[in-house]
Amino acid sequence: MKIKSSFCPGCGQVMILQSLYKVLQDNKLEDKAVLGLDIGCSLLAWNFLPINTFQTHHGRVVATMVGYKRAKTDSVSIAYTGDGGAYAIGLQSLLWSAKRNEAVIVIVVNNSIYAMTGGQTAPTTMKNQKTATSPQGYNEESFLGPELIKSLNKKAYITRSACNDIKDLKKVFNKAIKNQAKGNFSLIEVLSFCPTNWKTKGKETIDYLENMKKTFPIGEVK
Amino acid sequence: MNILLAGDGGQGIQTMAYVISQVIFDDKKFNISLIPNYGLEQRGGVSMVFLKIDKKEINYPKFSKADLLCTLSKQARERTEEYKDKNTIIIDAQDFEKELLENKINKISLNMFFLGILVSKFEKLSFLKSDKVLKKLEIKLKNKNNWEENKKTFKLGLKK
Amino acid sequence: MKKEFLNGYEVVTRACIDAGANFMYGYPITPSSEVLSDWINKSQKNKNLNYLQTEDEIAAGFAVCGSIVAGKKTFTTTSGPGTILMQDSLSMAEGMRLPFVAIIAQRGGPSSGTVIYSQQEVNLAIHGGNGEGLRIVYSPSNLKELYRFIRYAFNAAWKYRFPTIVLTDGYLLKTKQNIELFSKYKNEKTKSLFLENKQKNIRNIYTIEEELMEKILKDKKDFDEMAREITEVELYKTDDAKQIIIAHGLVSAVAKEAIDILRNKGIKIGLFKPSTLSPFPKKELNSLLNKNIKKVFIIESSLGQLKNLVKQNLENKINIDVLQKPAVGIEVQEIINKITK
Repeated sequence: MKIKSSFCPGCGQVMILQSLYKVLQDNKLEDKAVLGLDIGCSLLAWNFLPINTFQTHHGRVVATMVGYKRAKTDSVSIAYTGDGGAYAIGLQSLLWSAKRNEAVIVIVVNNSIYAMTGGQTAPTTMKNQKTATSPQGYNEESFLGPELIKSLNKKAYITRSACNDIKDLKKVFNKAIKNQAKGNFSLIEVLSFCPTNWKTKGKETIDYLENMKKTFPIGEVK
Repeated sequence: MNILLAGDGGQGIQTMAYVISQVIFDDKKFNISLIPNYGLEQRGGVSMVFLKIDKKEINYPKFSKADLLCTLSKQARERTEEYKDKNTIIIDAQDFEKELLENKINKISLNMFFLGILVSKFEKLSFLKSDKVLKKLEIKLKNKNNWEENKKTFKLGLKK
Repeated sequence: MKKEFLNGYEVVTRACIDAGANFMYGYPITPSSEVLSDWINKSQKNKNLNYLQTEDEIAAGFAVCGSIVAGKKTFTTTSGPGTILMQDSLSMAEGMRLPFVAIIAQRGGPSSGTVIYSQQEVNLAIHGGNGEGLRIVYSPSNLKELYRFIRYAFNAAWKYRFPTIVLTDGYLLKTKQNIELFSKYKNEKTKSLFLENKQKNIRNIYTIEEELMEKILKDKKDFDEMAREITEVELYKTDDAKQIIIAHGLVSAVAKEAIDILRNKGIKIGLFKPSTLSPFPKKELNSLLNKNIKKVFIIESSLGQLKNLVKQNLENKINIDVLQKPAVGIEVQEIINKITK
């Protein structure tokens, strides 16, 4: 597909979205899919894939896709958001959608920073990480979203992956789609590259992400 | 006619209004409107209902002066002072203390006694028929455990 | 037409059902909670009616947007502090041209105010978002209009795609009255914003300022064209009037009673009642006031939200007096006293 995207060079979203699309194609669900976007770097995905998409408001995409799915029950309803939209301003809706076992797929792109607004502290900012609003280094523990959400819903499929593990991404997206078809909630947090705000180059970016795995364990939360 | 009913929350003011208005509506002879007013508290506040009965079409359910004011408690009496003028007919529980005692009327059935009084007045004004009110009351309250007492108390009020 | 004895909130749910609404999302807040529970009650027998009590008004509003995008007639109700939270989703609906229908029951403000009545959410209803106020707002004065305007609201919303609000209050929702509802209005068809075999990407954020301006100007043009079709106003005894009362919603019903009494005393007074606050009946207002009207009384349960709206739309200067009781109902005698003072 044409990469006329506005993503930063090296942004992890490109790999995440391409993997998602491949899985939709494999399942012949491109036409049934609707991708709702938060307002943050996720909004840039609005014209990236050849599927139906629409932007919503910051922290509100999960609530919106709940409404969409309830009205169009045969759709593959995906709420695509960042860690801020999921775990800060949108946390209320995320918790409730999980608790109600809404049949939506929530993809949380975790780059541990508020990127589009210039690098402020995010829920998933790591201890001692320096950001625009924690210049001395963040002094709180990171937000572990998947682990928190799992406690609300035993039937949900909750997992964590990484943007540079295409094989795993495809596996988890497949599982989520099947889970949604069964009428259950899915949450996939994906650790994602952000060289612009991490101020990293080349291999440094990959190392940064590898380091994140110490705080955010990869794999299904059971 | 502008009628204002008021009592403590829980005394059954809304039930009184419900029964009266439903019967008048069923008869289809008058226009009827009602609007409750009961503040925030679930218990303990004042519960009021504004009732309008009119041959003409009713534009607005509230009024500033009542033609008839029925109050079942001290709180309600104080709260509704502003709705009285020299022409207002007042039916206040305080004025019936003696008969309430004589007839051993239970606090819970107090509203039934005054409903009886009101219905007797409305029947004389040809707004409604008391037997229809009794029927409506029965449908609404027969499954409650003190229905016999309520019925007796209503009939007592009717005789006033 | 059948004679019925209905509450305001029953009239609301009835109108929404008759309009073809399938989905309601809401959060309990006085005095609009009964609409939610009545809808849910009715849905137990009527399987076409879907609902969700959400975790807050923000979620309710966005779920409304979601179901609308999927092509279903959807609505919500709220009041006061809830109306404020609803602005987030209403604003998105403005920007994305979604047929968002909301029945808003005004209560006293600001903050938690009172739980029952005011006319203080006029500003919020029209301009509560961070845009230009391209919303349709109806103001019903009685139960019949409450029903009729909700039917109009769904049609206007789905035909012209602007968020549409029916702005009422706790008094009207709690009023129970004998009523005959004329219900034979045609319903506008719905359609999903998305088709499965055709790709669409819809945004509400722009990288280039001029792109957004262009969109806003186009939306305004659509709005103004629509205004010609749906602006509603009532002129009551204005033909030979020398003075005019301007009032909306419940206050206009009281004003009519006052005018009847004043007319009997020989006072030539009439009522200008905007039934749509937005688009405001500007042409009708000016054409009336230019007819040698000596004085205008603007009467409202707010400290001037209607007055400001009127002044915005006035072309010529005129003698204005006001009767303003923020958050409190206005009675017939008060209006008479004001006029005859």
